[in-house]
Amino acid sequence: MRTSIEGALPLLRLMHLASPGLPVGGFTYSQGIEWAVETGWIRDADDLEGWMADQIGSSLRYLDLPLLVRMQTAALDRGRAAMAGWVDRLLAGRETAELRREESDRGRALADLLVAWGLEDALVWKPQLARSQAAGFAFAAAAWRIEPHDAATGYAWSWLENLVLAGIKLVPLGQTRGQQTLARLATLIPSAVAAALEVSDEEIGASTPALAIASSAHETQYTRLFRS
Amino acid sequence: MTSPPLEGASADSGGWHGRLELEIAARAGRSRVVGKRQLGPLTIQRPFYPEGLPCHLYLLHPPGGVVGGDRLELEIQVAGGAHALVTAPGATKFYRSAGSLGRQTQRLVVAPGGVLEWFPHENIFFPGASVRLHTQIELSGDARFIGREIQCLGRPAIRERFGAGRAEIGMTVLRDARPLLIDRLRVAGASSLDGLAGLRGFPVCATFIASGAATDALAAARHRLSEAAGYPVGATLIDDLLLVRVLAPEVEPVGRLFVDLWADLRPNLLGLPACPPRIWAT
Repeated sequence: MRTSIEGALPLLRLMHLASPGLPVGGFTYSQGIEWAVETGWIRDADDLEGWMADQIGSSLRYLDLPLLVRMQTAALDRGRAAMAGWVDRLLAGRETAELRREESDRGRALADLLVAWGLEDALVWKPQLARSQAAGFAFAAAAWRIEPHDAATGYAWSWLENLVLAGIKLVPLGQTRGQQTLARLATLIPSAVAAALEVSDEEIGASTPALAIASSAHETQYTRLFRS
Repeated sequence: MTSPPLEGASADSGGWHGRLELEIAARAGRSRVVGKRQLGPLTIQRPFYPEGLPCHLYLLHPPGGVVGGDRLELEIQVAGGAHALVTAPGATKFYRSAGSLGRQTQRLVVAPGGVLEWFPHENIFFPGASVRLHTQIELSGDARFIGREIQCLGRPAIRERFGAGRAEIGMTVLRDARPLLIDRLRVAGASSLDGLAGLRGFPVCATFIASGAATDALAAARHRLSEAAGYPVGATLIDDLLLVRVLAPEVEPVGRLFVDLWADLRPNLLGLPACPPRIWAT
């Protein structure tokens, strides 16, 4: 365990980056859960758990996390062109217009925050970072000397917490039941992170057809609380 | 013009290697196959010209299907001003494998001002098949593409699931060498057939893609999809790429839905009325 003073600051920075209180609007997106609930695909805590577990094993493992790690490397190497290339690939892996808009809207908000925090070169990198929240997360992780493995774990947790909280509101679930679901799903993250670190460039990419359909249908859902 | 067969390719890990390269360009008001290099059993019939410039091409897949160790590569290049509609008389079948991977790669390249319509039948993955299938669509400038990929895991008609197989099914769309869509479906074992955010137990997973689309094409697609009862469908617009995704219990209604979508969209996207290839009627 890192109990040293040097290790404490990166840990705090990671908790800050992963915080649902970060003003990037994480709580306003459901990534298709809102439609999946309406259509009866997600009726209870077990459905929500299965819906999220499926993504942890596919899109998180094969798309988000492998690209996050590469984005952090690009930031450490001061490779803006490389960063732009990984952002292109992440956006190409977002399966619908709404999911892409979410990635970029949150990216813009986070990029503003990185500038406000005074992170070195954040302003210069803003055109790249503002297209993807993962890029901003990776850029901050590089600037704050957060280990890539830890950054990936924190990113995964932040994503999971936001969506399970959306599910708790939408299904709806009691807070205790929701927190039990979240705790169980968290146990899947370490192996997903480990597997993601082994994914080669050629293997990057995932497909979640039901999620893509749910997110597409959400674009025309009549009554919506969430932006995705 | 027909070039000599490709050299240097040989059977690999017991399977055969089939490769077909086609170049299509406009010559005197007709889209001609100006280059054809063929190795192995994958081939085309003589083109049809039922509507002037566009050529209708029928792809003939090897009758024995694809088994482990086989490698099938198709590359189609459409030049500016040319228009090809490529279809096939039957499904591509991927049979049970003793262990080695069967591979099919399709590279579809369209130059600025070119049009490719890509309407193969479904890919059928037999239980126990081990397959890597990749379709890469490379569009330059205002190149137009309308097409579909229909994957059928197992044989739903006889209630046979794709239980013991392994499939990696990829699709990449590039515009001017930048990725516009990257999709990689991984199926391995029964649990991945039932993934709640993935296939949800549906054996058929299909995608319809059209470039050059705007919100009116999206609205037209949604209107058509509203008729698809009983199985999940969704349409979205990513830049100018219309994407329709379908999960279904069987292939036939999806095939019909996609032909209807194509007929709805062709006037809007290509400025041409629907002219279905003759074999679609059979």
